[in-house]
Order: sequence, then C-alpha cells, then structure tokens
Amino acid sequence: MIALALHALRRAIFAISIAAIFVVFVGPIAILGVTSIRPASGVFYIWRGTNFTFNNFVEVLHQSQVVEAMWNSFVLSTSATILSLGITVGSGYMLSRFGGWIQRSWFATIYIFRTVPYISWVLPLYLVNTRLGIYDTYVGLLLPHIAVHVCFFSWLMKGFFDGINPSMEYAALIDGCTRWGAFYRVALPAAMPGIAALAILCWLSTWNEFLFALILSGKRTPLITSTMAQFVTETGTEWNLMSATAVLAMMPALLVTIFGQKYVIRGLRM
Amino acid sequence: MAEVTLQDVVKKYGTFKVVHEVNLNIAAGEFVVLVGPSGCGKSTTLRMIAGLENISAGTIRIGDKVVNDVPPKDRDIAMVFQNYALYQHMTVFDNLAFGLRNRKVPETEITSAVTRATQMLGLEPLLARKPFQLSGGQQQRVALGRCIVRRPQVFLFDEPLSNLDAKLRAQMRIEIKALRERVPTTSVYVTHDQVEAMTLGDRVVVMKDGWIQQIGTPLQIYNRPANRFVASFIGAPAMNFMKVELVEELGVMSAQAEDFKVELPLEQAAVLRKHGAKMVILGIRPEHIRFGIPSDNSGSSFSGVVTVTEQLGSEQVIALNVADSTMMASRISPETEVSPHASVQMWVDAKTLQFFDDKTEMAIR
Ligand SMILES: Nc1ncnc2c1ncn2[C@@H]1O[C@H](COP(=O)(O)OP(=O)(O)OP(=O)(O)O)[C@@H](O)[C@H]1O
Ligand SMILES: [Mg+2]
Repeated sequence: MIALALHALRRAIFAISIAAIFVVFVGPIAILGVTSIRPASGVFYIWRGTNFTFNNFVEVLHQSQVVEAMWNSFVLSTSATILSLGITVGSGYMLSRFGGWIQRSWFATIYIFRTVPYISWVLPLYLVNTRLGIYDTYVGLLLPHIAVHVCFFSWLMKGFFDGINPSMEYAALIDGCTRWGAFYRVALPAAMPGIAALAILCWLSTWNEFLFALILSGKRTPLITSTMAQFVTETGTEWNLMSATAVLAMMPALLVTIFGQKYVIRGLRM
Repeated sequence: MAEVTLQDVVKKYGTFKVVHEVNLNIAAGEFVVLVGPSGCGKSTTLRMIAGLENISAGTIRIGDKVVNDVPPKDRDIAMVFQNYALYQHMTVFDNLAFGLRNRKVPETEITSAVTRATQMLGLEPLLARKPFQLSGGQQQRVALGRCIVRRPQVFLFDEPLSNLDAKLRAQMRIEIKALRERVPTTSVYVTHDQVEAMTLGDRVVVMKDGWIQQIGTPLQIYNRPANRFVASFIGAPAMNFMKVELVEELGVMSAQAEDFKVELPLEQAAVLRKHGAKMVILGIRPEHIRFGIPSDNSGSSFSGVVTVTEQLGSEQVIALNVADSTMMASRISPETEVSPHASVQMWVDAKTLQFFDDKTEMAIR
C-alpha cells in the first residue's frame, strides 16, 4: 500500500515538474506567438476574445526598417560566421597542436578577453567606432563580433582538434603531405562536424546579439534585435507589432532547432 | 629495401635526455624489434627515424642518405601506429590510395596496387567502408595495407598490436610474420611485449631509460642476457634472482644461501673466481627448476615450500619459498600433485645458472 502510494506520489511530482518546466520555457513563447496574431486592441487580454489576424506580420513587413534590419542582420551574421570561423579554426588548431611563447600569449589574451564582462567593452567600442568613422557600418559591427567569436569559440575549436588524434596527421606527413597538407586534408575534414555545429552557433549568436546592435548600430545599419526594441515608444508599446517582429526573428533559430539540432549535438559531442 | 643506421642519436626535451647515444645498424631487409618498459624511449627513437621528431644530436641514415633534416614525406618510409591512425573521413580504399595519390601515381596503377594489398590482407569486402565501421583487427589490417601499397624503403611499427585482444594479437603476429615473407622490407618494430619481440625479430634491441641494454638475436638475448634487467624483462615467468655467497671448499666452488647450495662446474667457477666478488646475484630461469630428484649427478637438489600453484593444463607453474626468496618454477608436469604449504624437493642443473654482479648488475662472463 505504502509503496503504491509512494509510487503515485513520485509520478505526480514528476508530472508537476514537467508541467512547470513547460510553463517556464514554452509559456513566454506561446504568449509571444498569440500576441503576434492579435489585433492591437487585444494584446492585453490575449486569453480572451477570438479576433485573430495576420495583419501584424503584413504591417511589420511593410515597414522598410524591419525588412532592412533583417537583411542587415542576415548579412552581418553570415559574414561574421565565415570570417570568425576562418580565424577560429586556425587559432584552435594552433592552440591544440603547438606550444611556445606565441601560443601561450595568444591563449592568455583570449582568456583575459573572456573574463572581462562583455558590457564593459561596448561603450569604449562606441567611442572607438565613432573616432574611426565606422560607427553604424557593417565593418564597425563586424569587427567586434568577430573578436567575441574568436575569443569564445577558439576554446571549443581547440577541444575539437584535441579530440582528433594527432597520429592521423603524422600518418599523413609520412604519406607524403606537408604540414599544411596534413592540416588541410586530414585534420580539417575530420573536424568538419564540429566546425559545422560551431558555424550554426556562431550565426545564431550574431543574429540574436543585442548589446552591440543597440550601441553600435543606428539608422543607417539597423539590426533586427535593436529594431524590435524600437516598438517601445513614448506613446506606449506596440506589443502586437513587436511580437510579430520577434516571431519573424525567431524563425532561423526555429529552423535550426528543427532541422539542424541533431547535427549540432553530434558536432559538439565530437 | 634500404639499411638504416643510427649513429650516436640523442633526443632531449629541454635539458631532459630521453634517448642516450643510440648506435644501431639495421641491415637491408632485416626486422629489428625495439622492446622495453613504458617510457624507455622506444617510440621516440622510432619517431626520430620517421622524421616526426627532430634529433638533438647524431646522424640517421636511410640507405646511404643522411636524413637528419629530411621531412617525413621524403624519407620513403611507412608507419603503423598503435591507434591505427586511419583517416576517419575517407573510405578504406581512399585510405590505402592516399599515399600514392600524394605521389601523383596514375589512378590505374593505384587501383592495381590497392587491389594487390587488399587481396593479401583479405580486405576486399571492406573497401567502401569508413574506418568507424571496422573492428579493431580490421582497422589494423587497413593500417598494414596502407604501408604495403606504397612499397617504401622502411616499415616502422609503433606497438601495432597492443590495442587488440590476446587472441587477435596472436593471430596478427602470425600475419605480420607471413607478410614479411611476401613483402620483404627493412622493418623497425616497437613493442613492450616480449613475446612479440622474441617471435618477430631477427634481432632484438632491449632499451631502458633511454639506454640500449643489449642488441642480439632473440636466443642470444634469452640465453645470454647482458645484465639483470634484460634477464628479468625477457621471459615469462620472469627469471628468478637470489643473492648468494660463493664458497670454495677443497677446490670446489658452490653458490650458497640459507638452505640452498649448488656446486658449480669448473668453467663457471673459473669465471667467477676471476671476477672476484664474494656475494653475487644468481639467476635461474623458471623452466630450469625441476621437480623431484635429479636422475644423474649433474643436478643439485634443494628444498622449498610451495606457496601457490597455477595449473595451466599444458604445464604447472608453482611458486616456492626458497631461502627467504620467492622462486617460480614452470614446466612442472600438470599431473604432478603439489599442494600448497608442502615442502618439496627441487633440483637445478648448475650449467643453466647465470650470475650477475651485485652492484653493477652486469652479467659475469
Ligand atoms: N613532448 C615531450 N616532452 C617531454 N618529454 C617527453 C615528450 N614526449 C615523450 N617524453 C618522455 O620521453 C620518454 C620516452 O617516451 P616514449 O614515448 O619514447 O616512451 P615509450 O618507450 O614509447 O613508452 P610507451 O611504451 O609508454 O609508449 C618518456 O619518459 C616521456 O615522458
Ligand atoms: Mg610508445
């Protein structure tokens, strides 16, 4: 009897926990989704009323700034991903395979950058960017993103190469490759699943990034995350439009979750 | 086929010397095994021959060419690694073809070379697979195949069998031996397994702490070990050692310890007399300790107390307590009834005994 009761209790606790987790994680997204298809008059009582509309999406997609911001974010994310992976692969490989003072100081540098709070370099960067005349341009946004990615992802990249036994490269050296050939033709292809996973993470992190977007971009090069925040105006917040934009901005992440997740997990487990 | 010569080769990491002045001449077509305990510098030596590790001093020649500063790809060697080191993203065929493609060999020739190697090693059904779809033994075979398709001057093996289970290891050992006949090539083979060293090598090089201890044929190493280390490292169960006192009575020399006395033949006595030490280390191979009473007067009897017996089916191994030290005796007939704690009579032929200096541990000859 007692065992049976305990069993029921345990099941109940398990069910409640699952429900709680579901509410905490899925709840906000559900509210966001519902808000995005409610007319402006219905956003404060989303669980009441039955008017639904796709006008919010039509409206935001007609705002040139939102479309431009999406394009800009896409260009920025894609170019930041390509450029930072280029550097990160080299840096991770170097950290994994070679020792020496150059490697040690590079390691120390990215370590220090990682420990410094992100927010403390944003304001100085604003000053630097305006001084250099690259404020609110692709270059001005790209460089900080690349710097952050290189600092954060070099470690992951080093981990990938650490996981690849160097004797494979030695075999390549003996099989007729130069040092560069051993890297390019053997180590790099072997690290490819990891690199692909990292590319996805890299792209998403730039797409979702808010702080740089807020401080370093303006009217000329708007980005999706900072544009979203601009629905908060002096006359109030246009929740329905903001939610519609947010839902649009969530799409890439959603696509990755649905189609690329297995790939990301396999890559990161390498 | 080419000969390989190492002359005063040294490897240092910083100020730490891990390989000391190695001198080794390997004849063309010879199969030499480097053996020694973990960390003794055998892999380092092999990697220096391969060019994967630069040498701190000395000269390495392959053929008549000094290769000290020649990169691995130009040394015309092939190597099998302990973890096989197959290219994970390539099929078995591409793994085998990789080295030839790098040398711009025409594709038709590559196909025939790969086919020849795969037939030799029974790899035909696996050509389209990736390495992760192969068992350990199959991966090892692909690694061997990758060596032989290239027809290099020298084969280098770094513990190629140590990741396999005991049965497969025995099988692959035989295959490597068979391969030697079909693809005769100068080979250097590194292992810490003395059975592999004994069975595969034309000559065996025993190393310890970066020093070569002895170079010789397997039988020379086994029968005339240069020092106590070589004697204990080669042979299983290991050689028994006992500290004995040499006593001369009426012109007859005997080696004595408490409850133990063996009279020595004249030549051996002469050698020991010349050496001069009173206390020496006696070495007896386990198979030379016999059970019972000697059939003629060439053997010396002694008694010991049985501590453990191991029945192997084909033989029995027993551990004895003799004069306060443990001795292993092997090749006891499996039918012999021996019970633990019993006191038993054993005997040994004095001609089979080896003596080592108490301090230097060098063989006394
Ligand atoms: N990169 C290195 N830096 C410093 N010391 C090293 C380095 N590589 C190897 N050593 C040292 O050199 C010695 C010989 O190493 P080596 O790999 O040749 O041993 P081994 O005989 O092959 O042993 P094992 O049977 O374990 O493979 C060891 O003491 C090892 O610690
Ligand atoms: Mg080794």
